[in-house]
Amino acid sequence: MKQILSIVKYTLRQNIRNRVYYILVVFAIAIIFVTMLLSVLGGEQPVRILLDFGLASIEFFGLLLVIFAGVSLLLEEIESKTVYLMLIRPIPKWYYVIGRYLGLLVSVYLAMLFMYAMHFGMLMLKGWVFDPLYLIAIFSSMTKIAIIGALAVFFSLFSTSQSSSLIFTIFIWILGHFAQELKFLTAKMQFTPIKVVLKVLYLAIPNLQYFNWKDFIGSGLTISYWFGVSVVYAFAYCAVCLLLSIHLFNKKEF
Amino acid sequence: MSSAIKIENLTKIYRKSHLGRVTAYVGVKNLSLEVKEGSIYGLIGLNGSGKTTTIKLILGLLFPNGGKISLFGNPMPDRKKLSLVGYLPEMPYFYKFLTGREILNFYAELSGSVPAARIDEVIKIVDMVPNAGKRVSEFSKGMMQRLAIAQSLLHNPPLLVFDEPVSGLDPLAIREMRTLILKLKEEGKTLFFSSHSISEVEKICDTVGILHKGEFIKVVEQKEWQEKNNLEEIFIEAIKDK
Repeated sequence: MKQILSIVKYTLRQNIRNRVYYILVVFAIAIIFVTMLLSVLGGEQPVRILLDFGLASIEFFGLLLVIFAGVSLLLEEIESKTVYLMLIRPIPKWYYVIGRYLGLLVSVYLAMLFMYAMHFGMLMLKGWVFDPLYLIAIFSSMTKIAIIGALAVFFSLFSTSQSSSLIFTIFIWILGHFAQELKFLTAKMQFTPIKVVLKVLYLAIPNLQYFNWKDFIGSGLTISYWFGVSVVYAFAYCAVCLLLSIHLFNKKEF
Repeated sequence: MSSAIKIENLTKIYRKSHLGRVTAYVGVKNLSLEVKEGSIYGLIGLNGSGKTTTIKLILGLLFPNGGKISLFGNPMPDRKKLSLVGYLPEMPYFYKFLTGREILNFYAELSGSVPAARIDEVIKIVDMVPNAGKRVSEFSKGMMQRLAIAQSLLHNPPLLVFDEPVSGLDPLAIREMRTLILKLKEEGKTLFFSSHSISEVEKICDTVGILHKGEFIKVVEQKEWQEKNNLEEIFIEAIKDK
């Protein structure tokens, strides 16, 4: 356990010293400011624009960070052979996969929390009335990041190049937002082979619509048991992805 | 004297698949060797003879197709027993955003019970005190090699496995490496290393194994090459007609 924490600690340290990390964070902050300017043009709903565009931009940049860092996290180390000196330590190999994954999440979450703090400050300046769903929306976005991160790690071990891992992860991320549509399409499909493929795809991809709580901020919606279900779902999905990643990693030769 | 490394009939076949066509080639075949505790064992051979493959199999970085490996009598693979080994890779790479000291701290934490004072000790052993606080991205090749040696010594392992330890080093660094290896032997450590440099191997090894095309073709004891005064001749003789 102590060794996993060490891997998390040093992954975080590596990431926050990477220039790319700062470039993306600075770019995201710039986008939040642009959102603030846009909100001025928002007529009767300037706060709503700031709220929606801000949350969406932060989530988007979080996803970019986790996808790009996630697909290169293990692959780069395997290609550069830095992984050798980790694998010859007397620790189980799965410590490495879990430690790296958690380190990645902590790095992305730190950047996101910084952006959320700025966003919250701007909303307050604009006279927004706090809604607890804002916190749920943040938590859900972070949960979504955890799922996409787990998928990125899995694909980086499953495929042989960073570009194919990237394409797979982005594809699943997009498809994950259309899970309900996929379910509808499966029900309407008459041709059995395609129906089976769609059904498998529906079950395999993460249903990211469970995590879109940001759409309900200010609607007066109370936090239902669905929030709990979505957390359990995310946890289970990440666990399956990570178990598969560990299996692939254990079988890998270096 | 008991054995630090014992390998019996070790075989590794690499399989590469391209457009559905599988090509197989031999990494090592029926390799058997024994390294006595407290000795220096050198593995020599031409490029692609199987030296690095043998080392990777010992460390569990590759999986064998057949055969047995044991370290100090413990059958491998056993990840816990990796604490008995210190490894120096052929081309050491490190996390470029971390400093030398941070890297040693990190590996020390992963290796288990390494006291903090040991980190300072190994930094002194490899003579990198002035550079330990610099980021790895600022390191020269020589400094990288020193850091790589330092990480292999951190947990004070009884067995050191070095893959081409003098490759690409300047004459002064080669001499330092030779002195270090001999000092480690004096401390009772076992050293197993691969090299292209026959002149280096004959200066420090007790036993030399010759690998050719994945097969172990000859074991030469120090006495033998000292009598003939030429390990190179023995090597060329051994690989000729093979």
